[in-house]
Amino acid sequence: MNFLTKYFSWLAGGLALALALSFALPSGKTRSFDAAGFGTLPILEGGRVKPLDSVARNALLVIHSRQGFRHENRTIGPDEWLLDVLFRPQVADQQPIFVIDDLDVLGLIGAKQTKARNYFSFTELGPHLDEIQKQAATAQPIAPQKRSRFQSAVINLFDRVYLYYKLRNTLQLAGSPGLGWELQSLGTSDANLRHQDLIQLAHFRILPPAAGAPPEAWQSVGQGLAAANTGGPLHPGLVPLARLNAAYVANNPAAFNQALADLNGVVNALKPDALGQAGREVVFNRAQPFFVGMIIFLAAFMAAALSWVYKPEVLRPTAYALLFSGAIVHTLGLAARIILQGRPPVTNLYSSAVFVGWGVVILGLIVEKMYRKGFGTAMASIFGFASLIVAQHLGEAGDTMEMMRAVLDSNFWLATHVVTITIGYSGTFLAGAIAIAYGVRKHVVAVPDVETDRVLADMAYGIICFALFFSFVGTVLGGIWADQSWGRFWGWDPKENGALLIVLWNAIILHARLIGFVRDRGIMVMALFGNIITALSWFGVNMLGVGLHSYGFMDEAFWALTAFCASQVILMGICYAPPRFWLPRHDSHA
Amino acid sequence: MIKPLALQTWKFLKSIQFTIVLLALLMALVLLCTLAQVEMGTAGAVNAYMRSFIVWRQFTGLPFPLPVFPGAALVGLFLTINLVAKTLDIPRTLAKSGLLLVHVGLVVLFAGEFVAGMMQVDTNMSIEVGQTVNYVQSYKNFELAVIDVTDPTWDEVYSIPDTALSRGGAIAIPGTPLTVNVKKYFANAELSNLPAGQTSPATAGIGPGVLVVEQPTVTAESEMNQASAFVEPTAGGRSYGVWLASAAIGAPQAFTHEGHTYQLAMRLRRFYLPYAFTLKQFRHDVYPGTDIPKNFSSLVQVVNPSQKENREVLIYMNQPLRYEGKTFYQASFGKNDTLSVLSVVENPGWLLPYVSCVLVSIGLLVHFAIVLRRSLKRRQDKKEA
Repeated sequence: MNFLTKYFSWLAGGLALALALSFALPSGKTRSFDAAGFGTLPILEGGRVKPLDSVARNALLVIHSRQGFRHENRTIGPDEWLLDVLFRPQVADQQPIFVIDDLDVLGLIGAKQTKARNYFSFTELGPHLDEIQKQAATAQPIAPQKRSRFQSAVINLFDRVYLYYKLRNTLQLAGSPGLGWELQSLGTSDANLRHQDLIQLAHFRILPPAAGAPPEAWQSVGQGLAAANTGGPLHPGLVPLARLNAAYVANNPAAFNQALADLNGVVNALKPDALGQAGREVVFNRAQPFFVGMIIFLAAFMAAALSWVYKPEVLRPTAYALLFSGAIVHTLGLAARIILQGRPPVTNLYSSAVFVGWGVVILGLIVEKMYRKGFGTAMASIFGFASLIVAQHLGEAGDTMEMMRAVLDSNFWLATHVVTITIGYSGTFLAGAIAIAYGVRKHVVAVPDVETDRVLADMAYGIICFALFFSFVGTVLGGIWADQSWGRFWGWDPKENGALLIVLWNAIILHARLIGFVRDRGIMVMALFGNIITALSWFGVNMLGVGLHSYGFMDEAFWALTAFCASQVILMGICYAPPRFWLPRHDSHA
Repeated sequence: MIKPLALQTWKFLKSIQFTIVLLALLMALVLLCTLAQVEMGTAGAVNAYMRSFIVWRQFTGLPFPLPVFPGAALVGLFLTINLVAKTLDIPRTLAKSGLLLVHVGLVVLFAGEFVAGMMQVDTNMSIEVGQTVNYVQSYKNFELAVIDVTDPTWDEVYSIPDTALSRGGAIAIPGTPLTVNVKKYFANAELSNLPAGQTSPATAGIGPGVLVVEQPTVTAESEMNQASAFVEPTAGGRSYGVWLASAAIGAPQAFTHEGHTYQLAMRLRRFYLPYAFTLKQFRHDVYPGTDIPKNFSSLVQVVNPSQKENREVLIYMNQPLRYEGKTFYQASFGKNDTLSVLSVVENPGWLLPYVSCVLVSIGLLVHFAIVLRRSLKRRQDKKEA
């Protein structure tokens, strides 16, 4: 073994971490404008202070389902896009960012499906806005789970168009000469009407609370203008903001950067902690730890898969090192969310996916250390990858750090019930993943290897015990939380039932094993069915749209879930079938 | 002959095979109940699948429903027998101590659900800001209240529950010379103006001008029955006329007998408390710039003369007040944030799930630790061998 093979795994792990770090570094200026600096400005939106960069990324995710796009042979990032929407709507309106997939909606705006994805600019949608609004208004009163696919799609399009419309009328009324003109026109006859429009349409509040005002009293530009219009003092942020606006429109980077520095000064004087907080969130946004983690997990899985056929002595440690690096990035990302939000790790469906993946990865690392067969690495990395993909899709709904509704606003219960039950999901999934490895491996290897099968069965059994513990405790803690907030321990609510199903199923597996009802193969098939139950209770119950827990209704994920369940049924069959069942049996008489 | 059979049955009842069958049945029921909630609502599905011994199903073309599945009550009963029998069987050794704890904890959990199912009483208390309330009221049940309002500082309340009203007939009210003759009781009715040419059974109060049409009773959580009745109060051999009392009538109706003025009112059944709550403040906070509720809270003055208690309590989300065997939760609000609704639960077994959670957690930890230690030891022995 030469030097390179010996340290190859370390090198791979280090490279993965370097990749993660490279994402976190700031990018250069956009056309000499400090767009990134603009993105770091703190504002109030959705009940919390966040950087403009987060507004830009979330809005682009909602509207475009990506955080950036290519237009006229240039990649346009979220900060630059937001600058154009806010200050040069005539430019932003031309950019084809509205993705429309639904054929009926395409028909509604008189377009034909030409490519895999169809993008439209605000200008192109312009002639159809009345019709879109009319259709959406008709569909709106219908309960979400009763809407037809077209109705859901047209409401979705309307919401995205409205979000864009609000953004372009937040800092200035689109089509007006700008904020500077607004300041000069204070006191004129129709200024008040324009201020009311600006207040109505503001998507975020950019003016920090003035000295002496309550700490939550952020103001929108419209509110600031209206206050000044009625004889109040002019908010100190308005003048630099107007200069920023003018400089961006006049394509004057130097003046823009100077105005931005002045605006930062105002924020620093009024709300000193907001700038730092926003800055930290921008670093988190840029680093995209869960996206990078996803790539690293995929690399780890490929290395692990390759290790079974090629150079296992090099590739197996490499896969482990990559999984370890991915786990570090994933953990840092989770920690960053906990710090930024000031909440336990799981607060919504999105973060539950991130956390379940994390749990599987950490468990996989431990299992691999104990048994050293490469299966822990392979299964943990592929499940880590899959869960982050799921998380990415869930994150397209907008801000993933939204504020918690009153009933959920309890860090104690979020930290105990939600975290334990989610670890229970992780355990059940990892047991299912090991079962997949067992089932596939059985047919792939030429010579049966009883010892490895035993080890895999031991692993699965241990993990099921672990999962039973966490899902049971998590379920009972959930009951106690319900007793604390709704006055009943158990109400047969769909989410509660889902959790109960996982507990019952794991209990059945353990009892069946106890009396010898099932052996290794049976446990594996049952563990695979655990995947279906967990997926259904995690996502399926949200699709029913009933009960106290249905905070996150989803409609598009239905087919993905069905496909997942079908795949698990097939894998159960594969796992149950005799080894290499497709080969003719020569030795059947022996 | 009998003895071996009984022994056989007992052996079957406590077998793990039976446990597995019961757990699987329970899983199926939980799944069916969850899916049925889309159509039937939570309460309907729970009653059909979880609180019943047999799940019935009405097939089209058949005049009667057929039993299609054992209900969760039956499964739960057998599971309890199975669990208790098995728990008694677990050897009391250190090696099995974890398992024993787990199963004792489960027995406690089942007991808790049983106590809740049998004994839990759900009521609520609506208070407006500044108002003092010394009763909780039922969500669904009604009563005919006869209130002696003669003393301006003190109302004497006599009430007839809806169960007695539905039986009808003459009901003497203890402590008063009154007897109320229930002419007709409607569990749910719709009231409208009496069309010209029709007559009402009522002869006094606003009843003579009202048409009462019986309606089927409603059970959904969002709907309310409007209980109504024609009643004839008599005292000292004298009738005071036939009155219409209805939950749909807001204004009080009164008559006077021997210097005592009595009001008649059909209302949600009230249970008076030996203490009173005054709502000092209700808060409904939202996150700035959004409609997302951040907090609901009621600042309540609790006055309990028997305990010489007079103190302020803040009741908010996830922070109920447990007081004198009842638990008061912040449940709802109304009237432009000046009305707070507290749901009130009385469940003598509320502590049992907490005890169970602790027992089962410790039990599972102990058991898995024992198993892990054994497995590690086995691997160690293998290595040494």
